[in-house]
Amino acid sequence: MMSLIKTDLVKVLKMQYLFKFKANIDVFSSLIGIQLLAVLFSFGGFYHSTHGWGMVINLQQYSANIVICFTFIWALITAITITTKPYRHYDFTFVTNRLSSSLSNILFLLTVSVLGSITAMLSSNLIKFIVYMFLDDSIVLFKQPFFDFFTGMITTSLYTFLFCSIGYLVGAFIQYHKGFSVVIPVLFMGLLIFDGMTMNSTTITGFTEFYIKESNPFYFLLKTILMSSLVLTAAISIFNHLEVER
Amino acid sequence: MKIIECRDISKMYFRQKALEQLTFSIEENKITGLIGRNGAGKTTLLKLISGFIKPTAGEIKVFSEQPFNNLFVSANSILVDDSMSFPAALNLGDIMDAAAAFYSNWHQPLAEGLLDYFSLEKYKYHNRLSKGQTSTFNMIIGLASRCPLTLFDEPTIGMDAAVRKDFYRALLKDYLAFPRTIVLSSHHLEEIEHLLEDVLLIKNGQCLLHLPIYDVKEMMISVEGKLAIADQVLQEKEIIYEQSIGTNHVHRVLLREEASVEELQGAERMGLKIRPVNASDACVYLTDKGKGVIDDVFNKN
Amino acid sequence: MYSQYQLADMYTINPATAAKGLNLLADEGILYKKRGLGMFVSSEAKEKILFKRKNQTLKRLVEEVVLEANRLQVSNEELLSMIKALQTKEGNQ
Repeated sequence: MMSLIKTDLVKVLKMQYLFKFKANIDVFSSLIGIQLLAVLFSFGGFYHSTHGWGMVINLQQYSANIVICFTFIWALITAITITTKPYRHYDFTFVTNRLSSSLSNILFLLTVSVLGSITAMLSSNLIKFIVYMFLDDSIVLFKQPFFDFFTGMITTSLYTFLFCSIGYLVGAFIQYHKGFSVVIPVLFMGLLIFDGMTMNSTTITGFTEFYIKESNPFYFLLKTILMSSLVLTAAISIFNHLEVER
Repeated sequence: MKIIECRDISKMYFRQKALEQLTFSIEENKITGLIGRNGAGKTTLLKLISGFIKPTAGEIKVFSEQPFNNLFVSANSILVDDSMSFPAALNLGDIMDAAAAFYSNWHQPLAEGLLDYFSLEKYKYHNRLSKGQTSTFNMIIGLASRCPLTLFDEPTIGMDAAVRKDFYRALLKDYLAFPRTIVLSSHHLEEIEHLLEDVLLIKNGQCLLHLPIYDVKEMMISVEGKLAIADQVLQEKEIIYEQSIGTNHVHRVLLREEASVEELQGAERMGLKIRPVNASDACVYLTDKGKGVIDDVFNKN
Repeated sequence: MYSQYQLADMYTINPATAAKGLNLLADEGILYKKRGLGMFVSSEAKEKILFKRKNQTLKRLVEEVVLEANRLQVSNEELLSMIKALQTKEGNQ
């Protein structure tokens, strides 16, 4: 009698997690690429002009906001990508079930969210440094307490992870039925354009503001984590029924 | 001990039946040939056993558990086919390392030895391999992982004759060294019959027979000769297959149990040629679509 | 005698097939089993095989020769002389 291999979820999760880092290495190169692109865009800056006491104050504000925005989009795309057939089927070549496949994906997404946020936060320093060196001789505010950096990183990570979660759900819908691959982008882009044109925060931006305007850090934490869990649970339950058609 | 047990399993794809009330079981440490024509449901069955898909009806047990969404079944089985997917970012060496991590029985010396023998280099990428090389590499993964249940779905697609022969020998040698339950699907029974202990023949999603290969080889006999004599000798016997040769000669196949040894000896003395039917041809006759022989298509015109 | 596994390895056949072959030979008394030691060739093996080949294989071949001769309308004398000619040729070599 050949001895059968006993296995448990945690052990498999650990292997799948490590495997996904090697397998999805291109996720990181795309992160660097997209953030460098965003840094480039950041040099346009936001321009403020104020009148008062008979003088005009020109305020050129450079920030990493674009980088963070791009990181969100990257997070969304990355999450959708890893739900596609080839990526899901890698798991099924080796040892997996649908739950471990999803959980390891989520752990992977959580990790890339944190990494993406750290690099996004650091990019603000890069922007300031480049501005200081090459673009402007005005006063540049460099000061940033570590605590601010830390909270900023956590906030950005949570946002990024929320985007990942949404992407994962979107991917799950698309895998459930191909029709969603048309419906969801059209709906999303349409609403985004609608928001942009009306300069109003009704749909997607409104949804975002629900989080941004939360000033209590505890509630913010609760809101994002709850939302992510809800979205991910929905995605996991969809994937749990999907068959492998390789 | 039964490794695979299927009871009345059916599988529908968009209202089309891929498997219909299939019932069989496979014993431990046997090499079983899963034989059937294109579209008979071989791949569907293997995917059900692997837990990739779930049956529409019926019950399937692998290692006494339901395979769908089952980590235990997944850890103890592997399905090798030409559409096994590997990450594009990993080269062959990396893939082998991953397989080694996932499959506890993985035998690295075997994997490296086979990789070297078949001239596959570790730094190459899976999606750059030719069709034959892909099959060869997937087969290496399948053998070296030494899963208690190893499923091969048409493993030799694209392999040249020499590689196929080497693969069959490698499969047998590693099976002898490390006995396990193996299911090998193919529509070329003559190529794999020497490896098999049992044959599971399916047709239109149903189990036609599940017998030791020895019994399949003994199952049928072919009778060839003059039509008049054949009619006289074989009257009231069920004919499985018939082909006319010219106008007054005929080739007929029947079950061995239909005729006694004396009857056959008598037939031979009357000038009929009696021959055993090999396992491969027997399966072809059994899985006949019921639309007559290929000649009928031409005879209509 | 080789074990079923050794035979399987030698001829690339399933060990169950090899075992079936060994059992057939054992049934005919050509091989015999020693518990825990494997199969052994019996002392009368050669005799039995010769007997079987003479009474089954050779007989069948002769039957076929006779049948074919009848089909070709070769007379008994002609057939026998053909066989004799071959035998003298073999004997000379």
